[in-house]
Amino acid sequence: MLLEVRDLHVEFRTRDGIARAVNGVSYGVDAGETLAVLGESGSGKSVTAQAIMGILDMPPGRITAGEIVFRGRDLLTLKEDERRKVRGAEMAMIFQDALSSLNPVLSVGDQLGEMFVVHRGLSRKDARARAVELMDRVRIPAARERVRDYPHQFSGGMRQRIMIAMAMALEPALIIADEPTTALDVTVQAQVMDLLAELQREYHMGLILITHDLGVVADVADRIAVMYAGRIVESAPVHDIYKAPAHPYTRGLLDSIPRLDQKGQELYAIKGLPPNLMDIPPGCAFNPRCPMAQDVCRTDVPPLYEVTDVPRAAGTDEPPADRTSACHFWRECLHD
Amino acid sequence: MTEPLLEVSGLHKHYPLTQGIVFRKQVGAVRAVDGVDFTLGRGETLGIVGESGCGKSTVAKMLVNLERPTRGQIRYKGEDVTRLSGRALKAVRRNIQMVFQDPYTSLNPRMTVGDIIGEPYEIHPEVAPKGDRRRQVQDLLDVVGLNPEYINRYPHQFSGGQRQRIGIARGLALRPEVIVADEPVSALDVSVQAQVINLMDRLQSEFDLSYLFIAHDLSIVRHISDRVGVMYLGRIVEIGRDAEIYDHPTHPYTQALLSAVPLPDPQARERRERIILTGDVPSPTNIPSGCRFRTRCWKAQERCAQEVPALAVPAAFRLATGPAAHPSACHFAEEKQVVPPEERES
Repeated sequence: MLLEVRDLHVEFRTRDGIARAVNGVSYGVDAGETLAVLGESGSGKSVTAQAIMGILDMPPGRITAGEIVFRGRDLLTLKEDERRKVRGAEMAMIFQDALSSLNPVLSVGDQLGEMFVVHRGLSRKDARARAVELMDRVRIPAARERVRDYPHQFSGGMRQRIMIAMAMALEPALIIADEPTTALDVTVQAQVMDLLAELQREYHMGLILITHDLGVVADVADRIAVMYAGRIVESAPVHDIYKAPAHPYTRGLLDSIPRLDQKGQELYAIKGLPPNLMDIPPGCAFNPRCPMAQDVCRTDVPPLYEVTDVPRAAGTDEPPADRTSACHFWRECLHD
Repeated sequence: MTEPLLEVSGLHKHYPLTQGIVFRKQVGAVRAVDGVDFTLGRGETLGIVGESGCGKSTVAKMLVNLERPTRGQIRYKGEDVTRLSGRALKAVRRNIQMVFQDPYTSLNPRMTVGDIIGEPYEIHPEVAPKGDRRRQVQDLLDVVGLNPEYINRYPHQFSGGQRQRIGIARGLALRPEVIVADEPVSALDVSVQAQVINLMDRLQSEFDLSYLFIAHDLSIVRHISDRVGVMYLGRIVEIGRDAEIYDHPTHPYTQALLSAVPLPDPQARERRERIILTGDVPSPTNIPSGCRFRTRCWKAQERCAQEVPALAVPAAFRLATGPAAHPSACHFAEEKQVVPPEERES
């Protein structure tokens, strides 16, 4: 495993109490693999990513337990200056909003070149040349002329390409992309996702794609981890989860999206609202919204069950996939 | 269909670009909306899709009179709204209400929910007599699925989905006939989106509403709309019933747009053909000659640079009666299936 997060807990101290944003998340990514982390706002998907990158605001944030093992080292035990060498060079992050993630008063060439100056000790002139190469690589037209331009002079899709170029600059082993295409229009979104997938193949990188869009996940992911209230509720290879979800929340999400290829009647809607992180319901956090909830769900926190006996598609004889579900009734959900 | 409730023809909105301070002169214009025609029938939902900057929100603003059109007509029950003023305009505005995109900025944080939903009655007191307003507001809260006892709360005490319900209740307050909804669910989480869309569906049949539903999410538009118009750079390029647009698109832009939508089905990855457009949308200050899509179109030829294609049923399909025979503004319109047919049984 390239990266393995083990039983991570993160909380935020606020005036109103302690918000438990991440409550025991474990997931792993291999080189060349794409893991999609799916969740709605407040599910803890971005906080987990920030903890991995080491860019969590502390305080108010606090990592209370867990390990983040990257290439055999627990990142949480590293000193800040060692951590800094990992960040950018070995793992990099792409943010949702490129306009507010880029520095508006520096040219994009300077910002791209800075990576090489800081991490590789290149001169400014050499760094500038590398910046042009990178811009070419992410297919920004007329890179040589545009290297002196400022972020506001680029369109949204081009800015996101610059973010990708910056993340790719030092050829990291792992890229975390936090909603990389959410702010973009669909036609541009397709261009950017294609570019990202191509670069990933070329450099055999691990990719953690954080998103709330089930369509994007189906398009690019190998594995998927669904988060709810700071926990992973289901984790499986992407084909299996869409065919037969093993958690009622996943099932609810899949049923609640309108389809492009059919005109439905009434949409299935998950009732109620996501929980307040300062007051997560006892037992299974999803129980107040769950159509299958029983008494045990209101008292016992479900462990991560191994999901076995998954119905396989006809004609495939692959071994049963590595699947988990945090539902006491995963079996019923799967066969329902 | 009977007489349309709303009829829009040749609608333009150009924002002038000026230079100079003392001798101000116009040097160009942002052609945000550049000739839009459509009709909306009673009880019907027309979806408008398009990418950012295509002018769909400007159309919405003109319909509710937040912007004055540069040119063109908006006929409501046969009467041109753009020429009205004073009392007559006020009466029309009562019947066309708007629901905004962002439930966080479209509600005044210093007003209680009761005041927000009841404010339309201050302007149109004839709808609800003063003593009865509180009860009316509570009824509205109930209708949109909120607890009527929340009437004295402030917007920040609600979640995004609940706030959007408040926005919808405000839109319903005057019992309008038309609701213009500009991206009403795009700021909401998936599980909450479905709740709000179902609510809008239910309200439509309950109050016999017509919706103009503007969104960039093609799946949501298909779900809610009877007819769909696709906008590009200030114009509608293709319009038709939902199955005509989604299953039998003939305009290359519609085809590219549909093929780019990620489908929530990993098997579709292999089965579908992707059309990836090159480049960005041109600036609305400098719209290409002829067909405005030609700079990104893989079919573009000489003729496309010279002749503006009209939004009409293409000649090739004029004699046919099939689903491909719907208005499409392309010289080389061809049918192409880009959304793979559904396989999963649910």
